[in-house]
Amino acid sequence: MRRVSLFFAALGCAFIVTGSLMAQQTPPATTSPAGSGGLNRGPAVPTGPALRLPNGTIDLSGVWQGGGPVGNIADGLAKGETLPIRPEWKKTMDGRKAMQDPEANCLPTGVPRRDPYPWRILQTPTHTFLLFEGNIHSYRQIFMDGRKHPADLDPTWYGHSVGRWEGDTLVVDTVGFNDKFWFDFIGTPHTEQLHTVERYTRTNMGSLVIETTIDDLGAYTKPFTITFTARLRPGEELMEYICNENNEWVKHIVGSAKEF
Amino acid sequence: MKVSLSVLTALVGLMLSAGTALAHHSFAAEYDANKPITLKGTVSKVEWMNPHARFYVDVRDEKGTVTNWNLELASPNVLVRNGWTRKSLNVGDEVVVEGSLAKDGSKMANARVVKLADGRRVFAGSSGGDAAPPAQPQK
Repeated sequence: MRRVSLFFAALGCAFIVTGSLMAQQTPPATTSPAGSGGLNRGPAVPTGPALRLPNGTIDLSGVWQGGGPVGNIADGLAKGETLPIRPEWKKTMDGRKAMQDPEANCLPTGVPRRDPYPWRILQTPTHTFLLFEGNIHSYRQIFMDGRKHPADLDPTWYGHSVGRWEGDTLVVDTVGFNDKFWFDFIGTPHTEQLHTVERYTRTNMGSLVIETTIDDLGAYTKPFTITFTARLRPGEELMEYICNENNEWVKHIVGSAKEF
Repeated sequence: MKVSLSVLTALVGLMLSAGTALAHHSFAAEYDANKPITLKGTVSKVEWMNPHARFYVDVRDEKGTVTNWNLELASPNVLVRNGWTRKSLNVGDEVVVEGSLAKDGSKMANARVVKLADGRRVFAGSSGGDAAPPAQPQK
């Protein structure tokens, strides 16, 4: 701060560097360029129970937001729990730089991480697709035809997913992950041993509870479970988001991943 | 353009409630929220691109020296959902920008609020405060 202040003083600039106190003050009112709007615009989130498809299963379709870790996967742990991370992996995590985050480099979030952008569930008789607007305008495919995981999988960002219904909960079992993605901004790690079991329950029209069990004895001493809730974005459509279009500025993210 | 008090209140609330987990990367590792900056100048370039829209402002000091600042906004998808269009900022516009300085000392900042040429003060959809907070974990 001091170096910056001296620089500005010497330059006699027309702009003003205010004190850090400003950050704590309530800013004057602002609006959007359209004069109204904002992300909360649009129809109210519907209430009532989830609908069913003609085959009797729960209709999970819609545009959703959230439902997984963004900043810190530990936010999804039950109260009082801590991540059972192995010490050597904690050390790796603590050494990670924010600019190394694959998501910051326009690579996929993997599982169970979410980006802050909307995503859509699309159900067909044979597949369930998760269509992601954001990192990286990609998709996951979940096989619903009863097949098993292949015996020898090439490690990939989203792994190999098979789904089944347990009552009104869609259970998605995924293996075959690579070890390249992070679980969150702070660099929570995993290995190729990662096995996830996600349980998608549409508890009402507007809420999709996603409980994920992380089983990775490479980086953790025991499996653990996280729970996040995705919110329906009624009236919303996915937009285009091509992260790699102009990401040269990632080199300015100089801080530690822990600084999130 | 008149904006109702309730809308303003909602929007300010949105800004204040928004955390930092709103972009495809960590805000705090790139910008310093404790180094707020206000820049007044002329828009020299607008990049309506992913993963962040950017605009550049020529800021003239008292001696006439012009410094070009690189100002980061949110991604176009987030900006559009907040009422922006690619024409909200145009080359030649006189603007005042409130933001946070880049940590690496470069002439970069994350724009938080922009006072447009017509005097309206708009939230800038920066990665430090542009969207609804992520879904809360269920305990």
